[in-house]
Amino acid sequence: MLIPRKVKHRKQHRPRRGGMAKGGTWVNFGEFGIQALEPAWVTNRQIEAARIAMTRHIRRGGKVWINIFPDVPLTKKPAETRMGSGKGSPEWWVANVKPGRVLFELSGVPEPIAREAMRRAIHKLPMKCRFVTREGG
Amino acid sequence: MSEVRIAVEPRTEFGKGAARRTRRSGRVPGVVYGHGTPPRHVSLPGHDLMLALKTPNVLLRLEGLEGGNSLALPKAVQRDPIKGFLEHVDLLVVRRGEKVVVEVPVQADGEIVRDGMLDQQLIRVEVEAEATRIPEAIEVDIEGMEVGASVHAGDLKLPGGATLVTDPEALVLHVLPRPTAEQIEAELAEAEEAAGIERPPTVEEAEAPEEPSEEEEKAD
Repeated sequence: MLIPRKVKHRKQHRPRRGGMAKGGTWVNFGEFGIQALEPAWVTNRQIEAARIAMTRHIRRGGKVWINIFPDVPLTKKPAETRMGSGKGSPEWWVANVKPGRVLFELSGVPEPIAREAMRRAIHKLPMKCRFVTREGG
Repeated sequence: MSEVRIAVEPRTEFGKGAARRTRRSGRVPGVVYGHGTPPRHVSLPGHDLMLALKTPNVLLRLEGLEGGNSLALPKAVQRDPIKGFLEHVDLLVVRRGEKVVVEVPVQADGEIVRDGMLDQQLIRVEVEAEATRIPEAIEVDIEGMEVGASVHAGDLKLPGGATLVTDPEALVLHVLPRPTAEQIEAELAEAEEAAGIERPPTVEEAEAPEEPSEEEEKAD
């Protein structure tokens, strides 16, 4: 699973969810991609589950790119704990995804297979997404 | 490459409010610059521009521009990432016969060997060509390419008059050995275990008769 090798601060503020993606909004490496249509915090487990679902469908063909990285830690207080006593312990690693961001790219497979592989991957993600293709060659 | 005629209108009001009004009226705000001329702010018809920009590096003939008609190339195009409509366009003034550096898409034609997997590292290469003779795409024949074969930027066949700007040693595409089904299965099983993901049984596994356990055998 994707996880940062080293972090400057163990606990961070929760990331802002407003706005649109500023970059990474076009398919640049592969031929097909998954584009987010809603903001979301995507955990490293969800990224891995989507990658596995996609790879399992395309089997021997194709190459997959992951364009997002879960670099933000989210914390959680233990159950039945009174408020106070500081911030909880890090529980998840998430990528802060804004609408328009291309999350995964795929190449080396025909479009119907890519479409189905990405449909399966989208089911593993916590927001609405769509299948996109590369424009202008 | 043929020219596409676009009628432009000068823009006199600026800022996001004016830009939004321009977009609402079906036009796209833009700016035209180059050759040391001061930038000219214009608006272009949205639908015509959208159709023209479907061709990479399209040569536009701007009609109605202050100071006379002019040829221009799209330098930067801003689109809405979700809806895809054009938000703004930067146009670079060019002259006939002038050489310009542009990015041209690389297209792979043909089928590689069955045991190979095509890995295209560069989808565009920079070339220098006459503004009126920019190639739409550079085709690479990959028919029957074997595993381990590669194409570098220097190997590309450029149309007459175009010269390569990208490093000739840069890898454009190569053929990798396709991983075996066992290798992929092992990698996925390891990844699933690490992520704690339970794989649902396949249809064949679910329909297969269950073998009786040792306890059931003893009970019989």
